[in-house]
Amino acid sequence: MTQEEIDVLAGEYVLGTLAADERDFVATLRLRDRTLNQAIEDWERRLAPLGETIRPVNPNQSILSQVQTRIAVREAENAKKLQASIVALEGLVRRWRSVAIVTTALAATILVAVGINANLLLPTPSNYVAVFQKGDASPAFLLTIDLNTRILSIQAVAAPVEPGKTYQLWIAADPTGGGPQSLGVIEDHGKATHRIPTSYDASVVQRATFGVSLEPVGGSPTGKPTGPVFHAKLIPTPK
Amino acid sequence: MLAQLLERVARRDPEAFAALYRVTVSKLYATALRILKRTEAVDDVLQDVYVRIWEKAENFDPSKGSPMGWMGAIARNRALDELRLNRLSLADVNNSLVEEEPISDEKEPLAILEQAEELARLSQCLARLDVERREMVLLAYRDGFSREELSERLGRPVGTIKTWLRRSLIELKVCLDR
Repeated sequence: MTQEEIDVLAGEYVLGTLAADERDFVATLRLRDRTLNQAIEDWERRLAPLGETIRPVNPNQSILSQVQTRIAVREAENAKKLQASIVALEGLVRRWRSVAIVTTALAATILVAVGINANLLLPTPSNYVAVFQKGDASPAFLLTIDLNTRILSIQAVAAPVEPGKTYQLWIAADPTGGGPQSLGVIEDHGKATHRIPTSYDASVVQRATFGVSLEPVGGSPTGKPTGPVFHAKLIPTPK
Repeated sequence: MLAQLLERVARRDPEAFAALYRVTVSKLYATALRILKRTEAVDDVLQDVYVRIWEKAENFDPSKGSPMGWMGAIARNRALDELRLNRLSLADVNNSLVEEEPISDEKEPLAILEQAEELARLSQCLARLDVERREMVLLAYRDGFSREELSERLGRPVGTIKTWLRRSLIELKVCLDR
């Protein structure tokens, strides 16, 4: 192509008059053709002032929160690709939280996107997560559950390691009465997988409160939580 | 101010991003809406646009143009891709729910265009094109008209439109790069 042909092609690309296949062709070609890419950027700059003549219009509703969620998920996916550690994740959650836009659901979205227990987290209606945290602190534990298989998995995120102590997972559901029941201790580097007893109906589990308490090694000696407790409720995993 | 926000966004600052969104959304929304004509399509496109701004912010080079121009190009590109892929017919456009100023108010482009120096320069060069070709450029750039739609609107064969586009672009480039 001559420089003039390149300029006209780039100009039509920026003007927007190219057909879909031509646009596609130019968009692909510019990635490896510096002259074309430069010609496109030049046209964008030359014609940009025309954009100033467009009268601003406010969208009917803000899309900021959707954008932030998508960004958080993408960032988390990128973090996963880079094999980033859970520490990076906490940072991510903290940073977004600092703008006061992170709901628990969003925190869960981020952690889910990173693939913690990804095998349990195919986006189906039967998958739920619960984030254990106190106030604005980083999430201490993340719990995931598949109500179909009744398999529950819990992982420490930013829970402090306490020598000579162990964390224990509890479920409290009104219909069964009698206070929290132990689902087991969380021993293996802050990770554990348990099966919810069949005595708990799926709809009961959905509404149950989960707790994680700090106990002596081996678990609570009394059968009830004895140490400090984190609480969490289940929320559906985002589709 | 926009350049500083973009710079902070490039450093992954969510607060700067939220601020950037607030000051630019009405402009970028209008840019995409004008091309797409349908509000429901614009919301999705605009989400993509802001995700791209977040991800590409580090590529923004202030020496190569204004922040708004850079963001506007992202919005226009994304909207045009959407428009060309899911072609709306002219009928759809004419029946659109979007209330907008009549497109041919562009007969007075020079009045609005003279607001800024850059605009003044561009408007001078546009003024050298004859009225029809000037309208063609504006309809394409601002309203996303394809060659076929331009042909219909201006009542000229597509071949003529192609020639006009080619000549107009060459003349504009010569005039603007002078």
